[in-house]
Amino acid sequence: MGWDLLVLTVVPFVVSITCWWAPVTLGRLLSLASGVLSFALALLLVPAKTTTAAAGWLRVDALSVVFLVAVTFLYAATTIFSIGYVRPGGASEANARYNRRFFAGLNLFAWSMAMAPMVNGLALLWVAIEVTTVVSALLVAIDDTDGAAEAAWKYVLIASMGLGIALLGTVIMYYAGTSVFGTGYELFYPKLLGAAGRFPAGVVRLSFVLAVLGYGTKMGLVPVHTWLPDAHSEAPTPVSALLSGSLLAVSFYAILRFYQISVRAIGPTFPRDVLLAFGIASLGLAALYLASQRDLKRLFAYSSVEHMGVLAIGMSFSAPIAVVGVLLHVLAHAAAKGTAFFGAGSMVSKFGTKEMTRLRGGVGGLPWSGPMLVLAVLGLCALPPFGIFRSEFLIVSGGLRDPHDAVAAVLIVLVTLATLGLTWFSSQTLLTPTPDGVLRKETSGWIVCSMVIGLGALALLGVHPPAQLSDLLTRAAHELRGVS
Amino acid sequence: MVAVDLAPASIQALQVLTIVVFAPLVSGVIAHLEARLQGRRGPRILQPYYDLGKLFRKETLVPTDASWVFVVGPILAFTCYLIVPLLIPVLTAYPLPLGYMGDILGGGFILGLASFSVAVAAAESGAPYAQLGSSRAMTFGALIEPSILFVTFTVALITTTDLPYFEAASARASLSQVVRPAHLLAVLAFFLVVLNDTSRIPVETHSGTLEFGMIDEARTLEHSGPLFALLKWGSAMKQLILYVLLVNVFAAPWGLAGTTALGAVLLAIALLLAKAFAVGAIFTVIDNSFSKLRLFKITEFMAAAFLLAILAVLVLYLGGG
Amino acid sequence: MAILLASSTPPVPSTFSGGAEAIALVVLLTEFAMFRAPLSRSQIRLYGFQSLAVSALAILVAATQHVPELYALAGLSFILKVLLVPGIMLRLLKDAQIDLAASNRLGVASMVLLAIAASVFGFFVVGRLPVHAHVLPAPALGLAAAEILVAFLLVILRADVVSQAVGFFSLENGVSVASLVVASGLPLILEVAFLFDLLVAVVVFGVLIRVHHGRTRTLSTDTLDRLRG
Repeated sequence: MGWDLLVLTVVPFVVSITCWWAPVTLGRLLSLASGVLSFALALLLVPAKTTTAAAGWLRVDALSVVFLVAVTFLYAATTIFSIGYVRPGGASEANARYNRRFFAGLNLFAWSMAMAPMVNGLALLWVAIEVTTVVSALLVAIDDTDGAAEAAWKYVLIASMGLGIALLGTVIMYYAGTSVFGTGYELFYPKLLGAAGRFPAGVVRLSFVLAVLGYGTKMGLVPVHTWLPDAHSEAPTPVSALLSGSLLAVSFYAILRFYQISVRAIGPTFPRDVLLAFGIASLGLAALYLASQRDLKRLFAYSSVEHMGVLAIGMSFSAPIAVVGVLLHVLAHAAAKGTAFFGAGSMVSKFGTKEMTRLRGGVGGLPWSGPMLVLAVLGLCALPPFGIFRSEFLIVSGGLRDPHDAVAAVLIVLVTLATLGLTWFSSQTLLTPTPDGVLRKETSGWIVCSMVIGLGALALLGVHPPAQLSDLLTRAAHELRGVS
Repeated sequence: MVAVDLAPASIQALQVLTIVVFAPLVSGVIAHLEARLQGRRGPRILQPYYDLGKLFRKETLVPTDASWVFVVGPILAFTCYLIVPLLIPVLTAYPLPLGYMGDILGGGFILGLASFSVAVAAAESGAPYAQLGSSRAMTFGALIEPSILFVTFTVALITTTDLPYFEAASARASLSQVVRPAHLLAVLAFFLVVLNDTSRIPVETHSGTLEFGMIDEARTLEHSGPLFALLKWGSAMKQLILYVLLVNVFAAPWGLAGTTALGAVLLAIALLLAKAFAVGAIFTVIDNSFSKLRLFKITEFMAAAFLLAILAVLVLYLGGG
Repeated sequence: MAILLASSTPPVPSTFSGGAEAIALVVLLTEFAMFRAPLSRSQIRLYGFQSLAVSALAILVAATQHVPELYALAGLSFILKVLLVPGIMLRLLKDAQIDLAASNRLGVASMVLLAIAASVFGFFVVGRLPVHAHVLPAPALGLAAAEILVAFLLVILRADVVSQAVGFFSLENGVSVASLVVASGLPLILEVAFLFDLLVAVVVFGVLIRVHHGRTRTLSTDTLDRLRG
């Protein structure tokens, strides 16, 4: 299966470069092909055992595959959506340039995010995630509005500082390893995991905290989430979808890698407590902010913070089922949040504003994407039969088995609070009478198509996840918890 | 040369005498150098002695409302400056009998008392500029205090005592002791402290005539005759004492007399003067290369000194930097 | 007395530790100088100087710890961080035709005091680490931690895009110092990727600074307050 990884490494990158030079239409088609191909390749990896390629520099185990599937799924869905959302715009030179830049950036962004779970070792992981920052910052700024410039500046500054801290965490983890391996070794996962039991505890502890703080900045954990709502709301909608569904997940993946090592080195208590603190803060603050939003995309951005909080809290539960729930949640959140942003994009391109006071009658105006956006929001609120229901159910039931089941109760209360904000505002924009003069018409079939795919996946995850996927999640959870 | 051994007590007296006698000379050399750097011919090197002599022959004027403090202040300050040389390694590498009478803090207290008595005497005059000077001097004195304390802590952490002799001895012990970061930082911090305490640029224009920018200089505006002479002489002595602390305790504690032989002691006096001239030359260059900070920017200077001093303590705290 | 002296004096650091500490100190002091630096231009020059110190540290580590790859790293980081990055930044400033005066949110003295408090905190955190067992210049690690915290403060307390960018770059310098003293054998690929990344970051920052300047005709971040809540 090594060829699989190599193709995944090469194709989106090459497509990105091609998009920069090639004619607009060709670039758009190539992006679409690359997205679908990547997702198919990622699916091929689901049943496989640990795969390595490129002399051990690429390595994919069950945990990586979970995230690889999440990233490539959204990559495929987003390219479909982008074809409908970003107009080719005829002969206009400015528009063609925008198209070229956008699709080149989009592919490169997806490539860097797919690289992060595929590379072997903490060092390359950091490099990959840093590349995502650089690329996505430019994508956030691509619309060249005041808001986009401001959001991009805050994003690149805060995220880069966070990654500086994460690098320090990596360096310190390296230092922890020198007590076993001596100086001059590669930070490969199997090596670190094998010897983690002999690492000095204090050093690993510091490293873990730094890693959570650093990668948590990119993941949007409170209190280092401040860039997130700005970037998500000001970026072009396809980028918002990728930021929210994939980038946050990839950052979470980085934290999980540190978690995996730390659990083996210092036992589960300390890493869990750290994640619990960040998780409760994120969930609580996001639930409050969700109740006071005026911008549709900001609303979904805070919903992302909420779900990241759920992920962190889920990791703090000791029951194995909670960990399975967390991994399923990553996939379900990617599908749900992608769909929600696609719907928001549909609304925005229909009504030409993001302000919810001026967005009215979405369901009336958009016969397909309107109702599907309602469903996606319900999915985000963890209603059955969608995937997030299943994953949050697993997490909560894991939490209730925990000796400290009060945390699970807090989780339920806060998620419900977040649901209130989310449904209240989206019903105001969607389930209201359509203003006069708004035609009942979709803006693009591609957009509808992307939403159907997202919603389908979300429902599939909720109703009946394929057996191979369930198996994958169980294996990944085992890998995480150190039981094999 | 005939080998004559001196009694420790007489060397101790000689330390005080060295400071008293040569302080105006150092001031004179610095003034001369400064003038040369600015392209002027400058005063004679011995000019401070002539000034003092002239002032001692003049009458003393006391403001009508001033009390005895106005007169006692300068005398007390001068006495303090006479005491400090007993405590510090002016000429000898080994401690003299009264050397243990006080540590760095003790010496600091005595210098502080001197500065305080000058300030009180100035305030007693009732003249606005003098009062302004004394209030400023006390303010900035308080602000520079933390830096002095942290320099002392550094010394204490390196030598486990805070006797100036031991700091000097540890620096003499090995070269790596001198180049260790903590020591360098402490030296730099103390250098800034000395800049401040000798009223040099960037804190104060030391030869200016503009009262608004004055700090230390303004305090002596109302004194005249022998009292003024004492103040001037005292401030020259303070300058030399601080130079001695800087070179003989921190920066270059070499060339001190190791024995009680007369020759060694005399050589130490000559070397001390040479070092003092060298330090003075550095200060002169700084004086001519920088401009005076605005009064409200002086806190930045203090913060810099404090930063250096605190870093010295920190690197020591963390495993012997 | 001499015996008492010899027995109670803490051990004098070795040449490597002493040198590493001295350089780490220079790096930290430069960071403080950036606080004081009133002009963006002088800040960028200070950054260049700081990077020079980091390159020197790489050479020192390479020579004393026998890690020959670090010579290459030192050369690369000299070219990138001492020549290229400050060059690009200065060029940007020149194009913007603004030489920004200080835009502090606090007075310099209070900022320095805050930064001192931050670096003390960094020191104590590192001091609690059990890193003393190894032959390590622990103070250099503490200094690097302090430097990183001070860089954070620089970004927070300065309100113009150039200072914030320089603050971020100097944060990377702090991380470099930490990695050089703690993990001198760190895979070269990470170090090189790290440098390359820095270059890309400079380009991104450059683009964003240009966009920002083009939109607002200023380099101040005071106008960046529209997005809230």
